[in-house]
Amino acid sequence: MGSWHAERWKALPVELAGFYDADRTRAEALAARFGGQVFGSLDELLDRCEIADICTPPTEHAQATIAAARAGRHVVCEKPIARHLADARAMIEACESAGVRLFVAHVVRFFPEFARAKEVVESGALGRLGVVRTIRGGARPSRTAWFADVAQSGGVILDVGIHDIDYLRWVCGDVERVFARGLTFRGLEVDHALITLRFASGAIGHIEASWAFPAGNFRTFIELAGTGGMLVHDSDEARPLKVQYHADGPAATPPHVASLENDPWFRELQHFLQTLDGGVEPLVTPHDAFAALRIALAAIESVRTGKPVDVATFEEAL
Amino acid sequence: MIRIGILSVAHGHAHSYVSCLKRIDGVQVVGVADEDEARGASFAERHGIPRFATPEALLAEGLDGVVICAANAHHRPLTELAARHTRHILCEKPIATTLADAEAMIAACERAGAKLQIAFPVRFAPPVVQLQELLRSGALGQVYSLKTTNHGQMPGGWFIDRELSGGGAVIDHTVHVIDLLRWFFDAEVTEVFAEVGESLLHDGLGIDDAGMLSFTLSNGAYGTLDTSWSRPASFPTWGDVTIEVVAERGWARLDAFKERLAVYSDRVGKAQWVGWGGDMDLGLMRDFVAMIAEGRAPSITGHDGLKALEVALAAYESAARGEPVALPLSSGA
Repeated sequence: MGSWHAERWKALPVELAGFYDADRTRAEALAARFGGQVFGSLDELLDRCEIADICTPPTEHAQATIAAARAGRHVVCEKPIARHLADARAMIEACESAGVRLFVAHVVRFFPEFARAKEVVESGALGRLGVVRTIRGGARPSRTAWFADVAQSGGVILDVGIHDIDYLRWVCGDVERVFARGLTFRGLEVDHALITLRFASGAIGHIEASWAFPAGNFRTFIELAGTGGMLVHDSDEARPLKVQYHADGPAATPPHVASLENDPWFRELQHFLQTLDGGVEPLVTPHDAFAALRIALAAIESVRTGKPVDVATFEEAL
Repeated sequence: MIRIGILSVAHGHAHSYVSCLKRIDGVQVVGVADEDEARGASFAERHGIPRFATPEALLAEGLDGVVICAANAHHRPLTELAARHTRHILCEKPIATTLADAEAMIAACERAGAKLQIAFPVRFAPPVVQLQELLRSGALGQVYSLKTTNHGQMPGGWFIDRELSGGGAVIDHTVHVIDLLRWFFDAEVTEVFAEVGESLLHDGLGIDDAGMLSFTLSNGAYGTLDTSWSRPASFPTWGDVTIEVVAERGWARLDAFKERLAVYSDRVGKAQWVGWGGDMDLGLMRDFVAMIAEGRAPSITGHDGLKALEVALAAYESAARGEPVALPLSSGA
């Protein structure tokens, strides 16, 4: 995510101070591409910035966030807020007591189709929501090894499912109970989960989170049904431009973002800057990020035990 | 000539079934008996068949078989009656509203030497048959997950009268897909967890209109089934049957009725999907007629109907208890 964010920071009215990575060659590669310094330590980086954007694996979010807070730096942190609840609590406390902003990058709220769907719900066109469904999935990530390590990533539920957990919580409110079945603890190369949610409102939710689809099938899907109507988004159907070449044609080129204003990561980081100027309330609070983490961990617990989990009383057995 | 009678047309599928039977050579639809005189008369007129005042009068005609499209709670008395007069019975799904009724129906037919088939027409939808063949071929390897839906519009009428239906969306829409999974894999559901919601999608409905089952199968796969009546009246079709398979060697996605035209008519005032795929009801009726003609066993048995019903009842039990329920349920539950 580091390069993904850096590309957007370059388009925003900030100066990119530079990069720190425990693996210095990765920081050098990013600096060569986007400009800015390569720092030899996290402290050096924190000395030279106002905002720290943390794109480490989730197990390392707490250490970096707490260091940034102590240095008085605002924090943008990738989702999930942390791998464990205790880390998340410590991060929130550190940022609160330092008086710095902690913004967890639940980027799905900034996807135009997801944001517009939320607007449709708020317009009343669907009535009171009763059954909501989402899909998010693709092939298993091959870029970095830590994704495949449940101890580090939390598997597909914590890395992928948490997007829709946060989104549905944003749309439908708090979740009371979660039940899930999946492949997380089967020792396979793929991971997959079907998650059932019961919201405090009484509404029922269903999330499919997948790292088990064949390559080239990344898909998102939303279906929101209520007393007044229903809304559907399917990324398979939302491709305004399709290009295919004959066998002797050029190699397929990835589509580029149609406009910066509709780019979710740009919108997210732009929004974050606006919250620092005052006047704009953050769309994602640390509490939201903590609540999504708790639901996701409860779902993983449900996969492990085969039992429904009460979210409000759920604590990790560490 | 194979002579078939229609016992009750409370379930709207009766219209399609009779239309299909009339298209099959060598079949005569002898008549219809319906407990609602006006409904029976209108049905008889529409399809150009005689109306009989009572089931007994129709059965006295010497039928080769009957099709029972009564409300769920009436399946048992009509089946028990029919078994005394005819050798072949096709009963609408779900088989009954309780396991005790289902067992009694199966026993009554066995005693009388009548063959009981349950109407699961989706087995005859050509894309479903293709998926069944694909799964049985083993091409996908081990099946991990089955994410399924049988959504619908809220049907109203006796479907929302618990005395007649035995329940709402869960009993109405669990049985089709569960029957398909049992058929695909020769497997049984071993555990069900369900979230069930009453009046979630229709204010004041007073019966479940939302159901989300999470299940495991005896072949090791897990899955979910959304039975909700979540399609609003403005939706372009009645609902769906979808099955998405995640497996060792890939995936398969079935949207059984996706062979359809999108129709935009100002006269109707909403978009409509008009199917053009193979007629599954015709397949079901041909199968029933072939069973009679060939003297073979039913392709979908009373036991199949009972096992599908059992999953719906387990879902209600799970929702009431807030925990997973193991199957089989104890008899008479």
